[in-house]
Amino acid sequence: MFIKIIFSYLLGFLRISVEGYYIERFINICKNRKITIWNLKRNSNISLLLNVRINEFKDVCKIAKKTGSKLKIKNKKGLPFLLHRYKKRKIFLILLLLVVILIGLSSVFVWNVDISVEDNEELVNIREDLESAGLKTGILKSKINTKEIINKIRLEREDVAWMGIELKGTNAIVRVVKTDEKPEIIDDDEYCNIVSNKSGVITKISAQEGTANVKVGDTIKEGDVLINGWMEGKFTGIRYVHAKGEIEAKVWYTKSKKVPYTFTETQDTGNEENKYGIKFGNFEINFSKKYSKFEIYDTIETENKIRLFSDFYLPISIIKTTYKEKKEAQKTYTVEEAKNIGIKELEEELDKEIENKDNIVNKNINTYEQVDGVEVYVTYEVLENIGTNEKIVF
Amino acid sequence: MKNRKQHSRVDKFLEFPKEVYSNEPKVVVTGFDELIIENFKGILEYEEFFVRINTYIGIININGYNLNLENMTNDDLKVRGKIESIEFERTID
Repeated sequence: MFIKIIFSYLLGFLRISVEGYYIERFINICKNRKITIWNLKRNSNISLLLNVRINEFKDVCKIAKKTGSKLKIKNKKGLPFLLHRYKKRKIFLILLLLVVILIGLSSVFVWNVDISVEDNEELVNIREDLESAGLKTGILKSKINTKEIINKIRLEREDVAWMGIELKGTNAIVRVVKTDEKPEIIDDDEYCNIVSNKSGVITKISAQEGTANVKVGDTIKEGDVLINGWMEGKFTGIRYVHAKGEIEAKVWYTKSKKVPYTFTETQDTGNEENKYGIKFGNFEINFSKKYSKFEIYDTIETENKIRLFSDFYLPISIIKTTYKEKKEAQKTYTVEEAKNIGIKELEEELDKEIENKDNIVNKNINTYEQVDGVEVYVTYEVLENIGTNEKIVF
Repeated sequence: MKNRKQHSRVDKFLEFPKEVYSNEPKVVVTGFDELIIENFKGILEYEEFFVRINTYIGIININGYNLNLENMTNDDLKVRGKIESIEFERTID
């Protein structure tokens, strides 16, 4: 019966009221003629409400005449009536079709290219390279040959270790793994010098192969030759070798900074202002004026792509611009405070730069008080192995 | 009548449901609000507070209020509403 009712929604049915004195007879005749009627409801007076299918309505009319009761159509329901109503609304139908077709068509294109590099490293110009290789927004999905694109990019770029392109809905998700930059390796059988890569004072030098060019205590600059890649024998003359050796030097790391006594501190006031805009491709529409009402503020822009389903992105995005109001306050340091702040900041910077902290021999801090601030100099003395190979060019 | 009895013996043996092979009605009451009658002959009276249904072996009276005949097919009738009492009137023994 339930399926029958659903079926009658498709065929269309009428809710009619029957008024008369022989309603029971009417029902029985309907039953005997195998006419499906349902949801019969008796009003307190002499009328009866019931549902009947439209193809059986003519028979019901005849029965009503026979029993001498009046028929009245209260409601028309079902698909045929719905379609009939929309027959007149041609523009609506055309637009509906157009929307469906547009959605279908736009799902064939790629509207969003997501590039994620492993470990959040940065690859310069990867987007441009992808575009020139054939993966850009607005391209047909069937035209994308992921293997070809990956091969092209891996041929072009040396810093890409692995690359994967996944087409998901209208998204193209590109995953890239960056290779570690490999240092230039000079083969053992090639001739080379050892050249300083830092400036400092030599504390130890031992040449296993080649001739030492500097002595202990010598001050060296960057680029100075430390061990020459040749040996001089009494009888053999000059013979070129692949220089090898260990050089230890005292290297100074110096940082300076001027800490002023008076400074301005910015603070969030907590006031925010949101403005919205719509972006189609490169075309932007702002709903309100771009300028904020605040005097001092930070701007944060976020872009949200509109999507229909979980991964069906449209080439439209909503841009939200948040302005955060800031407050500026003048503050002053005492001499001691300024000094301490300067020293602390510089030490932190230096600690980041020096890898091996055990080799720090000496720390040197100098401060010079001036009218408007304190100049702080922090110097670290570090023992380090220095020297890199450099090919001998004849 | 003889033929019918023979019929019923075979059907009993095969464990057919009674309402399928005979004209006897089956009345199912679900809760106090719903009543389904199979094998009915016709409706004698239908008011909002009273339904009188004719079957092959007698008459069923249903008292209550807001009574609707929800589904009606050839051998199936569903009465929904606040049912207060159900009475049977035998017409054959």
